[in-house]
Amino acid sequence: MHSNRYTLLFAAAVTIVASILLASAATFLKPLQDRNEALNVKKNILKAAGLVNEHSHKYSADEIEKMYAEKIREQIIDSKGNHLAVTLKELDPKDTGKFPIFFDVENGDTAAVIIPVSGKGLWSTIYGYIALKPDLNTVQGITFYKHGETPGLGGEIEKEWFTENFKDTEIFDATGVLVSITVAKGEAPKGAKHTVDGISGSTLTGNGINRFLKADLKKYQPWLERHRKELN
Amino acid sequence: MEYLSLFIKSVFIENILLAYFLGMCSFLAVSKRVDNSFGLGLAVIFVLTITAPTNWLINHFLLLEGALSWAGLPTVDLSFLRYITFIAVIAAMVQLVEMVLDRHFPALYSALGIFLPLIAVNCAILGTSLFMVEREYTFLETAVFGFGSGTGFFLAIVSMAAIRYKVRYSHIPDGMKGLGIAMIITGLMAMAFMSFSGISL
Amino acid sequence: MALLTPQNKRALMDPLVLNNPIDKQVLGICSALAVTVMVKTAVVMTLAVLFVLSFSNLFVSLLRNHIPGKIRIIVELTIVASLVILVDQILKAFLYDISKQLSVFVGLIITNCIILGRAEAFALQNRPWPSFLDGFGNALGYGLILIFVSTGREILGSGSFFGIQLIPQAFYDMGYQNMGLMVLAPGAFILLGLIIWLQRTIFPYVEE
Repeated sequence: MHSNRYTLLFAAAVTIVASILLASAATFLKPLQDRNEALNVKKNILKAAGLVNEHSHKYSADEIEKMYAEKIREQIIDSKGNHLAVTLKELDPKDTGKFPIFFDVENGDTAAVIIPVSGKGLWSTIYGYIALKPDLNTVQGITFYKHGETPGLGGEIEKEWFTENFKDTEIFDATGVLVSITVAKGEAPKGAKHTVDGISGSTLTGNGINRFLKADLKKYQPWLERHRKELN
Repeated sequence: MEYLSLFIKSVFIENILLAYFLGMCSFLAVSKRVDNSFGLGLAVIFVLTITAPTNWLINHFLLLEGALSWAGLPTVDLSFLRYITFIAVIAAMVQLVEMVLDRHFPALYSALGIFLPLIAVNCAILGTSLFMVEREYTFLETAVFGFGSGTGFFLAIVSMAAIRYKVRYSHIPDGMKGLGIAMIITGLMAMAFMSFSGISL
Repeated sequence: MALLTPQNKRALMDPLVLNNPIDKQVLGICSALAVTVMVKTAVVMTLAVLFVLSFSNLFVSLLRNHIPGKIRIIVELTIVASLVILVDQILKAFLYDISKQLSVFVGLIITNCIILGRAEAFALQNRPWPSFLDGFGNALGYGLILIFVSTGREILGSGSFFGIQLIPQAFYDMGYQNMGLMVLAPGAFILLGLIIWLQRTIFPYVEE
């Protein structure tokens, strides 16, 4: 039997070794990890807007950075839809009254408006981007890039066969009410404009998406409506 | 009132074992006997009720980004240590339970065997703590949720043990006896519980 | 060869079939359910467990004479968790795409009872090299079952294998449907039950 003193010393030694190991790994690798994360975010903004297609070409970090710098413009708006003179870097993520919005600008014209969406799925918080066409109604594309849903079930949301379905759905109905897009339980009715096929066995993940998609689009509703008026 | 509904939800609708399938190993191995299941169930309730709120405190005052601002370190983010600290708290609690059982309930202690230390890696326990972080529960909600999850586990394992007790008198193919039939029964029980959670095919 | 004495060979080979961690020792069921919807995730999980289990057994065995009994669980878990987090951190920094696949598994590996179970049952009593082999063998046995179950679930539940469509579209046009039950957890239980039945019929073993 070991003495209490030995036990305590052993515990201290293990703690110190493990924490030094983990802390140094975390500190040294953090910049690299942050860079990867940031790159992944940028890639998904581009992907939502339909600018990146990973089937035909594997993109290097520099290509993504360059394309992002060339095409994407960042803007911060408030809950009433006003543009603010703050940059994305200065935005405090805890400030719930201000949110970012991204524009894909091609030859001076806006080709897509990209809105970040996030919320709870079944197990985890899901993060994604939804891109709208210049009519601010039709969906250009959607991506979900960070989540912890069950692989093969809820995890399918990041797969193309699922996100593909969102293309050309509409977030406003004919009378101009924001209805958002609903993930159906099972198959969506043919020709539905606001519903997409669900993933069987993952109704709860789908319900989560329905909830946060609507809530997040609501936050951008004033901005969207104001600019929709200008279109007409 | 809202705490009551959270409790009911965590016991029945979102039963940690039968709806989320966490904590299966000890569930299948120990449910052979009703009295052992009873003991393990109580141990899990105890461990969960203590670890969930403890982990909440640790998470809120030490780990989250900006959580250390009371110590004058508002920019430190220690959330990468979440798994290891949670599991350390759980392991410490389990070791405590182990010592208490060894001293006061030697029969139960030897019956639980390797599955007592394995409560520490019972996914139900870590799962509850991670759910608590994910769903952003308040301290009180966490306490209720921890207790509810434990009760759900207790309920599931005791009823499973009761079913297996009855099954002992059935004529089952030799290879199917024990674990094989237990798996099938769990599958059927899980299907029944799915009607709670609203999952449809 | 000195590396594989008969005992060592047994430490490596036994857990493959005769003393399989999942269907004999009842360890690691949770993760077996979560990752067997598709073969690909099952393979990723197997590789991760292979790595962590071999090395955790090795380290625990190296320290076996020094770990005080009272705090052994915490020490073992600290070793396992540090190992897993370290690997995750390194992957996040250098192989981001792979780490994204692993993200969900990190927690599942730490709480996989095979790892603590083998540390308690084998590594604490044995020398480092046999312990390493025992870890390797158990991880392989675990992976074997995972791949069996996931093959069944993917073919029946999604009509594909390793992401490649197996059931031709013509079948679906004729009214064939994927078996939704297989994608959900009860399907995994029932398949596991049947695999156990099969295995115990081939290698006769009766419980109780």
